[in-house]
Amino acid sequence: MIVLRAEDVWKRYDDTIVLRGVSLNLKKGETKVIMGPSGAGKTTFLKCLNLLVKPDKGRIWIDGEEITSPKADITRLRQKIGFVFQELNLFHHLTAIGNVMIGLTKVKGMSKSDALKKAKETLKRVHIEEELWRKYPAQLSGGQKQRVAIARALAMDPIVMLYDEPTSALDPGLSSEVLLVIKELSERGITSLIVTHELGFAYEVADEIVVMNRGRIIGGGSPEELRNAKNDEVRNLLNKWNGLKDGVLV
Amino acid sequence: MTYIYSLFQYIPFIAEGVLWTASLVLGGLGIGFIIGLPLAIAQSFGGKKLGKVLNAYVWFFRGTPLLVLLSLFYWAIFPSFGFKLDPLKTSILVLGMRSGAYQSQIFKDSIKSVDYGQILAAKAIGMTQRKLILYIVLPQALRISIPAWSNEYAVILKDSAICFALGVMEILTRVRYVSTATGLALIPYLFAGILFFVLTFSGTGIMDFIHKRTRIPGMVEGLR
Repeated sequence: MIVLRAEDVWKRYDDTIVLRGVSLNLKKGETKVIMGPSGAGKTTFLKCLNLLVKPDKGRIWIDGEEITSPKADITRLRQKIGFVFQELNLFHHLTAIGNVMIGLTKVKGMSKSDALKKAKETLKRVHIEEELWRKYPAQLSGGQKQRVAIARALAMDPIVMLYDEPTSALDPGLSSEVLLVIKELSERGITSLIVTHELGFAYEVADEIVVMNRGRIIGGGSPEELRNAKNDEVRNLLNKWNGLKDGVLV
Repeated sequence: MTYIYSLFQYIPFIAEGVLWTASLVLGGLGIGFIIGLPLAIAQSFGGKKLGKVLNAYVWFFRGTPLLVLLSLFYWAIFPSFGFKLDPLKTSILVLGMRSGAYQSQIFKDSIKSVDYGQILAAKAIGMTQRKLILYIVLPQALRISIPAWSNEYAVILKDSAICFALGVMEILTRVRYVSTATGLALIPYLFAGILFFVLTFSGTGIMDFIHKRTRIPGMVEGLR
């Protein structure tokens, strides 16, 4: 069953065409990774999927409902998509648990006690210890912040999680704790679309890897298929990321 | 010496002016808040066209001297609309409208300093624009605006003295009466100065206290 479908998505900023007809399907329970060099359009594409960036052309469906339709109830459809940002973007004035609760109380209309219970459960799922629940974002490490951000998205019970380079703002040490959480969620069957530069992680977690360059999808397949990619452009990119010249990928 | 003794008789009279000044300041700040906050929200989220229209209001009140505004509204604008307001009410309204223009800029800057990523994050969890303004932007923007708002309190307090031009019985008006009645200038005006200083100092002190109490733990302002 396809839970997210994008068809021929185009986006232009002034004279620069960022997306050139990107199409992608995501099945229930699937984990798909998008890779590509900086400026490939990965983040823009991800933001188009929940209309944080409005595409110039193309159609997008979430759980069978078209979010790009002029009649679409965008705020309701956005609740079906969990989004984790590269820049963390926690609400500064709320504690960790407050960040998770606010969507539940103010968007989903849950009672405070129910929201609190759910927020605690979700924070435990992303391994945020109880002593951190009442801390403010400025009092948390980068990795802790990103896990709270994942919890905030996850608590809304989305049908798909979108991760936009969730570790790019973190030190390598802190990245691993975030990647571990994403991997665990993915293994539990949470449908995920992940933009990342971590090739090793992509191979480990992805059912399929999609490679983007200059606003287009230039190739893709399972990690195994990608290791033996025939497409020169894809091979060159993968080799570059891997730091290898002989084409052998780990 | 007799003059100085008679001056003491006027102390309650001058001190009563504090209540009038407080009415001007609190009324002006309150009306300014009621005007300034929605104005700032509309300027920040209402689109360019609305922003330009509202800018006209802001620039009219920021660009016109208070004395001119007081005279204009007391002698011309209010009467021409059929409102015969007394000098105190006129002064409170004019100070409020003018402060609204200044406060809108304070709140607009504070709103701008809430980073856009948080607005995107609020949208991403399905918040409507109204909710994200109410629950994400304003709780932070209002905290950030307290120091500048405290400054606005000090400004409006000092500006309130200009309302003596309409005969409002605030501190300066009363001091002028006392000065004329006693023939003394230094002590009455010095007393007025001390009263304004105490009001400024205590008011900004309260605002500093509120600012410290509402500060977000761990967050260094300007380094968000």
